[in-house]
Amino acid sequence: MKIDSGDTAWVLASAALVMLMTPALGFFYGGLVRRKNVLSTIMHSFFILCLISVQWVLWGYSLAFGPDKGHIIGGLDWIGLNGVGFAPNPDYAPTIPHQAFMLFQMMFAVITPALISGAFAERQRFKAFVLFSLLWATFVYDPIAHWVWGAGGWLHQLGALDFAGGTVVHISSGVSALVAALVLGRRLGFGKQKVEPHDATMTVLGAALLWFGWFGFNAGSALGAGALATSAFVVTNTAAAMAALTWMTVSWWHKKQPSVIGAAAGAVAGLVAITPASGFVNVMGAIVIGFGAGVVCYLAIQLRERIKVDDALDVWAVHGIGGTWGALATGLFATVAINSAAANGLFYGNPRQALVQLVAVAAAWGWSIVGTFAILKFVNLFVPLRVHEDEEVIGLDLSQHGEPAYASIHAN
Amino acid sequence: MDPTTVMAVICSVVVFAGWLVLPHSPTSVKPVIVSEERQPAAVSA
Repeated sequence: MKIDSGDTAWVLASAALVMLMTPALGFFYGGLVRRKNVLSTIMHSFFILCLISVQWVLWGYSLAFGPDKGHIIGGLDWIGLNGVGFAPNPDYAPTIPHQAFMLFQMMFAVITPALISGAFAERQRFKAFVLFSLLWATFVYDPIAHWVWGAGGWLHQLGALDFAGGTVVHISSGVSALVAALVLGRRLGFGKQKVEPHDATMTVLGAALLWFGWFGFNAGSALGAGALATSAFVVTNTAAAMAALTWMTVSWWHKKQPSVIGAAAGAVAGLVAITPASGFVNVMGAIVIGFGAGVVCYLAIQLRERIKVDDALDVWAVHGIGGTWGALATGLFATVAINSAAANGLFYGNPRQALVQLVAVAAAWGWSIVGTFAILKFVNLFVPLRVHEDEEVIGLDLSQHGEPAYASIHAN
Repeated sequence: MDPTTVMAVICSVVVFAGWLVLPHSPTSVKPVIVSEERQPAAVSA
């Protein structure tokens, strides 16, 4: 197999774009928390970038993409990147070096546990976070990635469509976030005192950088620089824009004002929803998916508030529900006119695809709930998940890291 | 038009037309008084 320089350049550049998304997520989340917790929130994303970069080359890539074991998990044959060289791997990407594919996938593995950190913001002990993230990446992310993307994975063989990670990244992180929020419990004063974002400009900047990086996430998943990457790029931008417009409109109608943070959150919801569909739907499908994301994710936040779950930064509503909508919508709007290697969806004459997508969604939800609950309980045996009350009051920046984000301000 | 295009047009019309009926002035909010004066920064020579 011959390496294509154009494809390789695009995938490497896309890996860099996706890498930027994790610190961007830190800023998106960092702006939403109180000022006494901003540094610890950003640290969650920055630390995970380092942690999973090492985990992935040691064993994560092998578990996710290594030679199949029973359609459930990859073997340990590629541990330490043994055998993962520069020759292309025809199972995954026949025109780029195998290590380029590994690197691109690494950035997905990095951002996924970072997404969960929004659920337990402002109250999780850093040491517990470290242990949880390592175990979660190994026992939840890596298996689901193998099921959906690994050669021989059972959902892959079933025909589930997930172009860039609706099930693997967004459902897994969003549903796990809900479990984490329930297990950790609510923040002190939740529901009694209003928690305002300490810096909305930081959040909007983070959302904009996420949007920028998402072009690598989705268009890079074409694993080549061609028509499919271009199509994914176009539908990604369209869905993000449509979801931002929709969210803003719904919140304007509901709260009587067009929210800036709402528009930013809406854009992220649209990016989440188009992720699994981005290599399979046309631009009209992207408009419908973006519209749906703006509506269902907004409604999910209202539900979450009503049942008083303290998913601090609404990871479940945006990623869990947005990812679920996107995965199901892929089964409705996918068309072989965009990707001849895939399948048509329900609206193009293939109702079976909608059912397959439903199975994939249910599997991702189920494993995320079970795995996350078990890991949190296990970690809690050794390290308390939450900080002490006095540490929570003083803020995690000082209590966990001994550093204030802003030199002249030490609390709230 | 195929069903997907029909749905996309309906979604777009709902959002764009929706702006016509939305409130055009913000709800009253308590004004926040902020000082425009900045304290001089301490700069060492």
